[in-house]
Amino acid sequence: MIENKIGVISCSGEECLGGTISRLAVRKMMEELKPGMVSTLCLPLFIAGDGGEREFAEKYPTIAVDGCSKCCAKRAIEKYSNAVAGSVDVAEIIGEAKALEKPLSTRNLTDEHMEYVKQAADKTSQIFDEIVAKSV
Amino acid sequence: MSKIKVIPCSGIGKVFGLLARESVLMVTQEKCPNDTETLCLAHVVTGDDEVVGKIKGETCITMDGCAKCCAKKSVEETGGIVVKSHKVPDFMKAHRGEEHGTGTYLTEDGWKYAEELAEILVEDVKEIKKGEN
Repeated sequence: MIENKIGVISCSGEECLGGTISRLAVRKMMEELKPGMVSTLCLPLFIAGDGGEREFAEKYPTIAVDGCSKCCAKRAIEKYSNAVAGSVDVAEIIGEAKALEKPLSTRNLTDEHMEYVKQAADKTSQIFDEIVAKSV
Repeated sequence: MSKIKVIPCSGIGKVFGLLARESVLMVTQEKCPNDTETLCLAHVVTGDDEVVGKIKGETCITMDGCAKCCAKKSVEETGGIVVKSHKVPDFMKAHRGEEHGTGTYLTEDGWKYAEELAEILVEDVKEIKKGEN
């Protein structure tokens, strides 16, 4: 089942709101939208190269979820492993200015932020479904 | 004098990464906003010139979520001077048996633990600032 072999890497960037949203969108994929169906890879460990993450992304389709247009997760996957199977740029969903606002503690998230998380997670889920459909 | 860089790991799989992240946000946004700032580890690890310029030769503190110490290693490799480094599990002894939450949310005990980690970072900041004066 390819569903168990699709990776998702978020940038989880600590400098901007987009990073906060990217992290929570991937957690939403793990816990609500595709529970047990995605492998979440840790970006710093992926780049360090000693956790098996790179090998996973070389073999299996991997989706990058980035918080801003620097697209660090996407670039890292393409540099060290393979072309991404899909990518989500949170800044394209919520706007660059909003994405570059200060990062937030999870205790300060509002309904507006959770709507951003939903939109980013839904986009990631849509890419996931397209990958599965192509593999059948 | 530039601000001290306090950098957590971005670990997403377990609660330790979130504890690292929340403790650093407490320090940089609430407890020591004038003396500290954080940098995006995802950007640091790309080694882009822009981020290297921000971190090279700068005083840094890292808070990692696991023994892989990705934040510490990445900051050092990018030229940051890590004067203090911590791992969330190192302070678990006094918290055995507690449930701290997941990579998505912290429980009440989790927030208390994050607060404790933040205070450890605050003491580091004070010590570093004292040495500068």
